Order: sequence, then structure tokens, then C-alpha cells
Amino acid sequence: MNTRFDMMLPRRQTILGGVALAAGAAAPAHAQLTIDMTKPSFEPVPIAIVDFKGDKVGADIAGVVRNDLQNSGLFRSISPSAFIQQNMDPNAPPRFPDWRSVGAAGVVVGQVAQSGGNIKVDFRLWDVVVGQQATGLSFTSQPDKWRRLAHIIADAIYKRVTGEEGYFDTRVAYVAETGPLGNRVKRIAIMDQDGFNTRYITDGKTIALTPRFSPTLQEIVYMAYGENNAPPRVYLQNVESNRRELLGNFPGMSFAPRFSPDGTKVVMSISADGNTDIYEMDLRGRALRRLTSGPAIDTSPSYSSDGSQIVFNSDRGGTQQLYVMGAGGGGERRISFGEGRYATPVWSPRGDFIAFTKISGGSFGIGVMRSDGSGERMLANGFLVEGPTWAPNGRVLMFFRQQPNSGGRAGSVTLHQVDITGRFERQVPTQTDASDPAWSPLIPQ
Amino acid sequence: MAAFRLKQSIAMKKLPLRLLILVALALPTAAAAQRADPVYVEDRLNQLQQAISLLTGQIEQLQYRNQQLQQQMEKMQADYEFRLDQVEKGGGRPGGAPAARPTTPSTAAAAPPGAAPPAGAPPAAAAGAADQVYNDAFKKLQDGDYAGAEKGFRAFVQRNPQHALAGNAQYWLGETYYARRDYQNAMTAFAEGYKAYKSSPKGPDNLLKLGITLATLGRKPDACAIFARFAQDYPRATDLQKRRIEQERQKNGCG
Amino acid sequence: MRMIKALTAIAAMILIAACSNDQQAAAPATTTVTPGSVADFRQNVGDRVFFETDQSTVREDGRQTLNRQAEWLKKYGNYQITIEGHCDERGTREYNLALGERRANAARQYLVAQGIPAARVKTISYGKERPDPVGSDEAAWARNRRAVTALQ
Repeated sequence: MNTRFDMMLPRRQTILGGVALAAGAAAPAHAQLTIDMTKPSFEPVPIAIVDFKGDKVGADIAGVVRNDLQNSGLFRSISPSAFIQQNMDPNAPPRFPDWRSVGAAGVVVGQVAQSGGNIKVDFRLWDVVVGQQATGLSFTSQPDKWRRLAHIIADAIYKRVTGEEGYFDTRVAYVAETGPLGNRVKRIAIMDQDGFNTRYITDGKTIALTPRFSPTLQEIVYMAYGENNAPPRVYLQNVESNRRELLGNFPGMSFAPRFSPDGTKVVMSISADGNTDIYEMDLRGRALRRLTSGPAIDTSPSYSSDGSQIVFNSDRGGTQQLYVMGAGGGGERRISFGEGRYATPVWSPRGDFIAFTKISGGSFGIGVMRSDGSGERMLANGFLVEGPTWAPNGRVLMFFRQQPNSGGRAGSVTLHQVDITGRFERQVPTQTDASDPAWSPLIPQ
Repeated sequence: MAAFRLKQSIAMKKLPLRLLILVALALPTAAAAQRADPVYVEDRLNQLQQAISLLTGQIEQLQYRNQQLQQQMEKMQADYEFRLDQVEKGGGRPGGAPAARPTTPSTAAAAPPGAAPPAGAPPAAAAGAADQVYNDAFKKLQDGDYAGAEKGFRAFVQRNPQHALAGNAQYWLGETYYARRDYQNAMTAFAEGYKAYKSSPKGPDNLLKLGITLATLGRKPDACAIFARFAQDYPRATDLQKRRIEQERQKNGCG
Repeated sequence: MRMIKALTAIAAMILIAACSNDQQAAAPATTTVTPGSVADFRQNVGDRVFFETDQSTVREDGRQTLNRQAEWLKKYGNYQITIEGHCDERGTREYNLALGERRANAARQYLVAQGIPAARVKTISYGKERPDPVGSDEAAWARNRRAVTALQ
């Protein structure tokens, strides 16, 4: 049994017959079942997701798919109460005129079947405009993993319509915050991307911050204070067994950890005598290598997607700015030259952009720039927004927003996501106040 | 206290900064020799540290502005050289030199290249299509879409290695890399241009740029060797080109 | 350790009593705390110094405070010291951890320069994680850019 996320789920893409849609077929002028999300403006694709047949979990699965797609900002889920065709045969083509008349560009139908203690779920996406099946897949899993199945189906639809990989079958690690601000409890939590299945992986006895996933999702690294206010240290923790180990016992504080893309290394900041530099630790031999030096603060390192470079935050030029260097240190060059201070750079998993926090004119912003510093674009602004993290497809970011405190009371701290055009922002539901989100890669299957 | 070790990125300013540190450390030590006050020393160190960050920041800004200006100038220079080319060649010859610059798409399509097509040149329709590829790529270059221009010029040279504009395309291909500071690829492209299209109208420019690129890559002896070939390869180069070569030779200390 | 805590609690109670007793003016309160106690240190010496935005240089008013701290700490050599560096909320989390460390270290260096043995003084940074006071205005931020000398 696969102990990771025991899911008997080879992504068995049993195509259920039907041909893939011919691209560029002459189509009517109204809504189409494709979307180019890089275009400066587009309308969300109207899509109808019919409750899956065969089992009562079918309606729940359809609900999760609707929610995922709607939350992406790229789809508009048509309310089931508007559907004309009822009691559909999941294996037969839908009555296309009925769906055209409710304005749907696509219809999703599916069914759930029990199969030897597991559930088997089929679905088809019909292109209403062209009157053909666009995609159809079949999956098997344990019954209690039905939410994951729904996310995987939503990913398949997203991919078919946008041409980009989906990001719904993912998790988010974050810092759950409770209690009064002056003595706040901060512990690491992990939840599904849509806010479900939250669990806490530190106990809250000491402050824990800045969680980051390993590429396999097996582990996270984070920073936590020791008992009796011992200085912060970096920990590596298995998310299944919750076994954790200290990554290097240095006299000063160590923090701001992040995995290399191949998972063999962790970069972090280590402080000594008030000075903070970036170090790399090889996880196989625990060998430590210093990557920056000098009296400035060098922190928040993040690898490029190919692992060859590191972007980081430094105040060597008097204010916080972003710099890029080789992954082994050296060749540092500044890339941020706009007004204000730049912080928390994170390289996109696609390699094309670097996301950052910008502090300027008394307010905070989340933005992206190309890796040479050009093409800066702000996506969100506010009293305090901080800590962007990329969805695995490099098209969506999550970050946190803090409202001002007033009358000695803490302002709320919440997670938000925004697409890289900055058009569509929404709050991500969490059980408590939440900060420092870290988006996982797609969950391995 | 951490050593004042400066980064490589500001290596060029290392010396003046070091001097500054020495002077700044020496002065107070002399002045305050009688009061060996650790707080005073600590203060001086802090002030120095701040002064260095300030300078570092200013150097970074200046380097950035310098780079921006350089890019702008190179773009302007390419444009300027092109215009000069047109003036020099265009005067006596109606129909003109290879029409690298599309004034409007329609004239570009209407006017076939003035130079006689070499033997075995593609039929007129294909030639028109090739011109279009060249013109599109050139337009992209002017718009600063270097990646798009790179693609276009590369496709043009691959498909039409014998075309009258092939040498020009090879040269501009090099420029697309050079403009993006991808000197390694720029060098390869210019070297290829020198090898394959020595007698192209762009030959002298190509050689000049190959030398400059080599010098930028720190290969000064190679750069000088390339500049040295200029007189022999292009005795009839324009005065402007000869002056540029001489400037570069001096700049790189070629013997 | 436990005894010191207890002592602190008692001292704090006395302090509260002294304050709530009546409005006898602030001055006499100095006489009610035990000399050499944590309360004495906080009240009569001052346990914290403040910094400018993004700065870690000890200001002139902070130097006065640290001078008093050094005198007091020399007199009461039984305490170990941890200097806690803090920042206001107008910075990013990771950078603020480093900046807090820098502030704590600046205060530490000053105390050491005043003759406090380096081995007696530890530092820790809380970045912007432990605001005191809680508030989102310039007055609160100014109080939060601080290095606090904690006695053990």
C-alpha cells in the first residue's frame, strides 16, 4: 500500500471513446470552450456541471468540481436550477440545443460505480458549441478520497479548456494564528487547496513560521522557536509521521528555509553577531555551504525552477532589494529598481516570473517581474499584503492580507489567491486567521 | 564584527571603497588615539557600514541606468547605421540596396530586392515570402522584440542561405543576441556571419561587432586579432567603419 | 530560575499595588521596588531602547538607557541577559527577523563596550511576531522598533 496518500490512483486515463475536439473548428460566435488566460481580457467560460449519477457522493463530487472551476475565475458555473435537460444518460450525448439555450459552452456529466471496495468515477466534458465530446476520463480510488477525485476531474477540465496544467489537486501549508496579537499562537497547518481537510502539524507551544513543501510533498521545512524562547531554528518534518528533525544546530538563529527543485538541498538564512547570510545545506550529507557574505542582511532565498540560480532579498544597497546569484553563490546582481523596498522573492515553477512583496508609499503590494527584473506588474495592494507563493502551474498566486489593528485588537489575517493578470482575487477559506501560505506541487499519484 | 568584504558585483568599485575605509578608519584612530573608547569605534564601524550600503546602492542604480542608456544607444546606433547605409547606397541606385527596412508592408511586398538574385534563386513567389520573413523580423528588431526577431532571422538564414539578404539576416541575428547581452550566442552568430558572408554588404559591420563581442567576453587578444583583419578584408570600408575599428582597437589596447 | 520568577511576580504585585494605591505621583514609586529586582530594572533603569524605521543604530536616548543598564548590571552581577530585538509590522516577516537580530546585537555591542562581559549577554530576535503595544499607527510602530533587555 502506498503510504503517502493511499490512493490507488494511477492516473488511468481510460478514454471513454469519443474523439478529441478538432482545434480551430469553425465555431459560432458565442462563448467557446477554450480560453486564453494570457489575453488582456476574456469572459469566464460558462460551464454546466451535472450531478454525477450512480451514488449519492456523485452530487458532492459535482459540487467540488463546480467550486474549483468557479474559484479559478476562468469559469462561470451555471446554476443547476437553470438546467433544462434532466435525468441525463451519462454515456449518451446531451441534447445540445437545451444546453446552448442556457448559455453553456460545456457540459460535464459523470457517474460513480462501486468496484470491489473502491469507487470508479467516469466523466465526460461535452463541447456544446461544436456538439462533440471534448474529453473523458475514468478514475478509481478509495471511497473516502472522493474529494481528491473531484479535484483531479476539475484539473482535467481546466487543462482541456485553458491549455494549462490544473492546480486543484494540491495542498497549502500555512501558519494558523490564534489568540491575542501580543502573545499569538502560530502553528503550521496543512489543508487542501480549497480549504478542506485541515490538520495541524505543530503543537503551537512555540511560534512556527514560513512552512515550505518539498517537491514530493512528503516533507516540509519551516522555522520554529525553541522551548524557553531558544532562538529560531529550521526544522524538517515528515507530514505523514510528523517526525521532525533539526536542520543544523547553529549558535545563532536560522530561518527562511526553502527546498531546491530536486529536493536534495535546503537554502536558508543563518545569523551570527547580528549579521545574516544565506547558506545551502545538502540534505544527503548535511554539509553546509555559505553562499553570501558581507555585513548586509541576505535572506528569503528561492531557487529558479531549473535549480541553477537563487533569487534573494538583501539590504546591501541600503534598502531591501532583490538580487539573483548562481545556485553555488557568486555573480550577484540586483534586479529590482522600482520605487520602494522589495522582499520575499519567489521564482515561478515555470521559470518565467519572480513574485515579490513590495513596500512603497506606506502600503504593500504583491507583484511579479521577469527574472531579469523587467516587466514589473502589481497584482494586489493593501495595508499589508505579503508572502506570495505559486500554484504549480505558475499562473496563480496565493498570499496573505492583514488588516490594521485597532484599539489593541488584531486585524484579521487571511489567505488570498490571484491570477497573474491580477484580474481575479478571492479569499481562500481557513479555519483560523492564516498567514505565510505555501502552495504544494501537484499531489503525486 | 563582520569583515567588510564587498561583493563581486561591485568589484569594479572595490578599490575606491577600500581606500575610503582605510582613510575613515585611520582618521578617527589618529584623532582619538588617547581615548580608546570601544563605543566610539563601534560607532565609526556602523557609520562606515551605512556609508558603504549607501554607496553600494548608488553604484547599483548607476550601473542600471548606464545599462539602460547603453541599450538605448545601441538601438539608436543600429538605426543610425542603417539610415547611413541607405543614404550611402541609395543615392546612385534607384531600386536601392536590399530593402531591409520596410517603410510600409505594401511597398516591401511590391518591391523585390534590388540586388540581382544569385543563380538558383527561388522563384519570385518564394522570394517575396522570404522578403516578408526578413521584413517581419526586422520590424520586430526595431520594436525591441528580440526573441521574435531572432526566430525570424534564424528561419530566414536557414531557408535562404543564398539570398542576397542572408548576410544581413545573419548580422541582425547576432544583434538580437547582443541587444539581450547574450554575448556567447552573439559571438557565435557574428563568427558564423564572418565565415559565411564575408563579402556581404554587412560584412564590415559583422566583423566589427564580432570583435566588440569578443572584447565584451573578456577575450581581448581574439578581439584584437579580429580587428587586425579589418583593413585587409575590407579595404573599401566606409570612413565611419574604419574610425569605429580604430576606436575599438584603442579601447582594447590592441598593439 | 523559579525563585527569580516568583520574585518577579512579587515585585510586579508590589508595583501594581503601588500604582493603584493612589495617585501619589510617580516619584515615590521608585522607593517601593526592591533594589536589584527585575521590577527595579524595568522601572528605574528602563529595559528597552527604540530605533528609527529600518535602522539598527542605537539613538542618543537609547544610549542613556543602555548606560544606566550597564551600571545596574555591573552592580547586580547575578543576572544573565537576553536582548530581544523587535520590529514594527511595516516590514516582511523574514527580513524583520534579521533586522530584529541586528537591533538586539547593536544593543548587545553597546553593553559589551560598556564593560558587560560578552558571555553574559545573549540575543534573540522576534521580528514582528511579538508586538507591544498592539496598534497600527506611527506611535505604536515607534514603540515596537525596540530592543528589550530581559533578565534571567
